[in-house]
Amino acid sequence: MTEFKLKEARLGELVNALKGEGYRVVAPVEEEGAFVFKEVNDPGEIRLDVLRTARSIKELFFPRVEPTLSYEFEGGSVTCRSEIPESARKTAIIGCRPCDAASLTMLDKLFDWDYRDEYWFKRREATTVISVACDAPDSYCFCTSVGGSPEGTMGSDLLMKKTSDGYYLLEAVTEKGRSVLETAKDVLEPATGDEEVQVGDVPRQFDLEHVKPWLDKNFEHDYWDEISYKCLSCGVCAFVCPTCHCFDIQDEADLERGVRLKSWDSCCLPIFTLHASGHNPRATRGARYRQRVMHKFAYYVDKFGMTACVGCGRCSVSCPIDMNICTVVAGAAGQAEAST
Amino acid sequence: MSADIYEPYFMRVEEITDEAPDIRTLRLVFQDEAEGRKFDFRAGQFGLFSVFGEGESTFCIASPPTQKGYIECSFQKAGRVTRALHDLEIGDTVGFRGPYGNWFPLDEMKGKNIILIGMGIGLAPVRCVIWNCLDLRDDFRDITIMVGSREVGLLVYKREIKQWEEMSGVKLVKTVDPGGETPDWDGEVGFVPTVVEQIALSPENAVVVMCGPPIAIKFTLAALDNLGFNAEQIYTTLENKMKCGLGKCGRCNVGNVYVCKDGPVFTAAQLRSLPQEF
Amino acid sequence: MSEELRQKARELLEKGDVDLVIGYGEGSDPTRTMPVFIRRPEDCDRLVWNKHCFNNLTSYLTWPELKKHRRRAVVCKGCDAKAVVVLCKESQVNREDVVVIGVSCEGVGDPLLSKCEFCDVRTPKTYDILIGSELQPLSKEKEFESVQEIETKDAAERWEFWREHFSRCIKCYACRQVCPLCYCTQCVVERNQPQWVPTSSHPKGNFAWNVMRAMHLAGRCIGCGECERVCPSNIPLMLANRKLAKVVKEQFEYEAGYDIDEPLPMTSFMPDDSDELFK
Repeated sequence: MTEFKLKEARLGELVNALKGEGYRVVAPVEEEGAFVFKEVNDPGEIRLDVLRTARSIKELFFPRVEPTLSYEFEGGSVTCRSEIPESARKTAIIGCRPCDAASLTMLDKLFDWDYRDEYWFKRREATTVISVACDAPDSYCFCTSVGGSPEGTMGSDLLMKKTSDGYYLLEAVTEKGRSVLETAKDVLEPATGDEEVQVGDVPRQFDLEHVKPWLDKNFEHDYWDEISYKCLSCGVCAFVCPTCHCFDIQDEADLERGVRLKSWDSCCLPIFTLHASGHNPRATRGARYRQRVMHKFAYYVDKFGMTACVGCGRCSVSCPIDMNICTVVAGAAGQAEAST
Repeated sequence: MSADIYEPYFMRVEEITDEAPDIRTLRLVFQDEAEGRKFDFRAGQFGLFSVFGEGESTFCIASPPTQKGYIECSFQKAGRVTRALHDLEIGDTVGFRGPYGNWFPLDEMKGKNIILIGMGIGLAPVRCVIWNCLDLRDDFRDITIMVGSREVGLLVYKREIKQWEEMSGVKLVKTVDPGGETPDWDGEVGFVPTVVEQIALSPENAVVVMCGPPIAIKFTLAALDNLGFNAEQIYTTLENKMKCGLGKCGRCNVGNVYVCKDGPVFTAAQLRSLPQEF
Repeated sequence: MSEELRQKARELLEKGDVDLVIGYGEGSDPTRTMPVFIRRPEDCDRLVWNKHCFNNLTSYLTWPELKKHRRRAVVCKGCDAKAVVVLCKESQVNREDVVVIGVSCEGVGDPLLSKCEFCDVRTPKTYDILIGSELQPLSKEKEFESVQEIETKDAAERWEFWREHFSRCIKCYACRQVCPLCYCTQCVVERNQPQWVPTSSHPKGNFAWNVMRAMHLAGRCIGCGECERVCPSNIPLMLANRKLAKVVKEQFEYEAGYDIDEPLPMTSFMPDDSDELFK
């Protein structure tokens, strides 16, 4: 439904209208040369022109560190309190890309698998996602290879598309999106229907259909050797990734009180699978990097019917040694094609 | 319980048993008796046991579901949390989240000969099944229990091994690795896989439930294979490093299974189909 | 120079002098290169040399998976080669097991990385084979300029400066993993009895982590700047590392990575060592 448009120059008024309705507005802003999603005070800080922020919107739903329990020691006993929020702050995210929005739908499946993680869902329920279609994707983007699109609506409540004449066409995808249109109606203009929309082209780099079948059968294959030499086993790829969700649970306490924390972790880090006995099932860098690819492109598909990658390209851009997941997966697809 | 899936039950340490050097069993009761009465689980399931201030650790529930009012866990002092658990005293508080995971399909094992093999601390999950079966004795045909350890002193549940030895209708075979026997040892001497072949266990109408260190499992599976057991009739339980225990944190993901959700109980056939990353 | 590099690498493999060449290959886009691991002479055509050869490849020398290669050649800029010196002095690598293919480098990055503006190893001081012609070293006059700027702030300002920067740390450990001198098989942050440094990304844990890593590199960091380049939060890590290098230089007249025979400052004590540090 694209009945309305917003003049680019009036973005600030939209933000103020949302704030007036009690929304916390979060958008890409600059922070020491990197672009990250932060609460916006001055709409002038908003950078909708940035193609790819350093990190994704996942941290607005799944923070880097989050207490689940807090407890106090009194005499010989312990009292404990769940840290689950009563409700989360009403939030509007403006300016994420369709790939980031799609990641939310993907992660919903995991966080609702038999046990519902209310830490995630309270924030999901309280947040409205206003995404912006991509008019200028770059060579690292590969959303179309994993079933996405530069103007995809999965996970979005409202999609904004740039027009050639200085507007954003607005497409409400959900009730929450329609609610935003209602809140901002004084700032919006009716769409004429013949706006020229600017959406970039993301050429497909590989055929996803070939990937999983090859991965399923080639756990042990020379293909992983070269890759395994390069990977440095840091956590950058997992942390900047919109769909990576592995976490650690640790207690931090002193003699009087403490907290149990959930915090981001990565299957690529060296001690991820290390047992206290010293046994490490994934002791090599190659085994760990292979796990990341397998989990995203094979195991998650088996479990939840979706590839856990949105093709945003962040991991490839941020990787210290230029491990390009698109190239790795395209290579796997290529191996599959070569053998048919 | 609240909507917070990470919130533990509060337990109290009621009894502590030293099974072997560094290996202890804790008997825990629910501080909230109503929760304790409601609590139920099935043999093979596990939980996350925690010491507030130190962290959580994963153990199978070592007591059988047929014995109500308490749960037990057995563990070896190895890292930060097990060290803290080992230092606990009677009356101390322990957190418990569970029961998680799948279970040994005892319903499908009815009417069969049950072979239970526990090696080292791996006897803990098997012990749960042993008592579950003994408490429902008439449901099963022959019961054969094999316990093995590196040396006599490291056998766990020594008192119970004696009980099983003295039970009629139960065949008990106990063994220690060569060099691990004491002068008064009256059991077998030999690695479990070797003894398995020596006593020629029969696959006829049988089900095997076993647990132990990965290398011991590997060789015991080979021995059972030689005796004609097929991989579908052998069950084991995996002990992966876990954190959340409920399928979110990704740590126990091996192949397309999550050990905490699709396991920890697997048939040998299922294990073989997984990447050997456990 | 790429051609000269390929030729020399090919010869090393053909003669069996080494069984692995670690070098740079084409990257995902024209502004990047990536590490390549060449085992066959015919694959040496993958090697490139250009101003996007950022990585310090010596960080691969201490990985256990690579130790199965009897003798390894590694392509090194002058800064990278300094790491080989420190690794040898710290007994992590045998000098005879590494062939350093030094490359004369006019600086990497476009615009040039700041570390290149005062580089005195444009021709590496340590190498077994040199690619390219000798280049004059630049003056190191401005080396500590950025550090001096921070030194003019008072304690409260400095605290706030670092607190703000470190609060953005996401604990990805990219800084540790790229660093050739971070080779501990179990890093301090991975020890949990006790947990000296919290693993999670909150201000207390971040501050502890970054300060501890800088301290562990005092007198050892060779200034390749990779940590700062790869940090996804753009934390000025080199400021901290350079500060400690400055202290070591002033107190012990020592700079890491130049002299393979000089005693290590943190593991040797000279009677005439200054007492200034122990205030």
